[in-house]
Amino acid sequence: MRRYQILFFLISSCLLLSGCAVKTVKGFEQQAPAVTNYPVTYFSDAKTDYVYKAHIAIYGRDFGGIFIAKKINDTLYRAAFTTEFGNKLFDFEITDTSFKVNYILDELDKALIVNTLKRDFMLLLKQNHAVQEQYEDKQNTVYKSGDGKRSNYLFLDKSSGQLAKIVNATKSKEKTIISYTPQSNILAKNIVIEHKNIKLKIELNYLEQ
Amino acid sequence: MKNSVLYVFFLMAVSLSGFAQEQKMSAAEVTSFKNGVNATAKNTKTLTTDFVQFKHMDFLSKDIETSGKMSFKAPAMLLWQYTKPYQYSVVFKNNKITINDAGKKSAMDMGNSKMFNKLNKLIVGSVSGNVFDDAEFTITYFKTAEYNITKLVPKDAALKKYINQMELYFDKKNMVAQVKMIEPSNDYTTIVFKNKVVNAPVPDSVFSN
Repeated sequence: MRRYQILFFLISSCLLLSGCAVKTVKGFEQQAPAVTNYPVTYFSDAKTDYVYKAHIAIYGRDFGGIFIAKKINDTLYRAAFTTEFGNKLFDFEITDTSFKVNYILDELDKALIVNTLKRDFMLLLKQNHAVQEQYEDKQNTVYKSGDGKRSNYLFLDKSSGQLAKIVNATKSKEKTIISYTPQSNILAKNIVIEHKNIKLKIELNYLEQ
Repeated sequence: MKNSVLYVFFLMAVSLSGFAQEQKMSAAEVTSFKNGVNATAKNTKTLTTDFVQFKHMDFLSKDIETSGKMSFKAPAMLLWQYTKPYQYSVVFKNNKITINDAGKKSAMDMGNSKMFNKLNKLIVGSVSGNVFDDAEFTITYFKTAEYNITKLVPKDAALKKYINQMELYFDKKNMVAQVKMIEPSNDYTTIVFKNKVVNAPVPDSVFSN
């Protein structure tokens, strides 16, 4: 009986241990960081109104709308969301370290929703990522950057040099993945924000004005 | 000091010229205008029109422009269809809203929602001109050389959160030519109608998504 207990304990520890380390850069080769900071440039042009058609899929329901981001000054962004008819659903002010709600529709003003939107759009509009570790495989160079209790893994496509995705993860689990299809270094024409812990996916397609 | 006096004069001149353009209607003018609009609305069995929508947000460098077609059939069937820069259509029919977002379809029952009923009434009303609901709005009437203008301020607290003021611009044939929806934040949406066709046959099949 005791032998089984030990066996069970060993198996569970193995499972726990293997489940512990996040798989994001598994199989990648770690290197000394070549840079101390990585600036994301997709929303960096203060002259551009970044206007996207948005699809939000949440727990089997679909919503549409317009997502708008605008760089106001060196550190500040406005991020707003309207319906197709133009009614505003939310309007945030975001910097790398702060978040302010200018407006949010009553029906959306719930802690869970606001916190999820805050996390997603702060990550999307974060300009500077302090690089702590660097990894590499054939296709990508990956910068790891601290983000509170979590980390962000920034995947740079080696052939284009552009940011291809950001993985936001705890030590053991991937939480959110932002994937980009670049049009230029200052504009991603398609952006997908996918959550791993909740059934939420936000897809943004740039609208040529 | 001299400058600030000049500034005050400048402001007064601007506001006076504004008043000169937009005059308040007399009681008699209001009555005759309302009768005219109600008669036109009563005789409008169908209406098809193109529209251009401008979403103004203070922080954007230019308004977001979208456009499409609208079809209305009395008493309350409405198709609102964006074709540029994306495909998105909404049908209001039998107390239901159906949405086709670039192929993704969804439906909402308005029967359960007082709010949606009010919005629907407002949208259908602003297209057909049937909006003089004094129980629902505080209404003021103005005129310019080109338009008769109705300004509606919602009385209902729930509606007030979405719309600060709705302005309907009627051409001198008593047809709605322009709608301006001002949000509590003072950002606004302007919709301009053009190429209007009145009372041409419109089959019911148009109002399906």
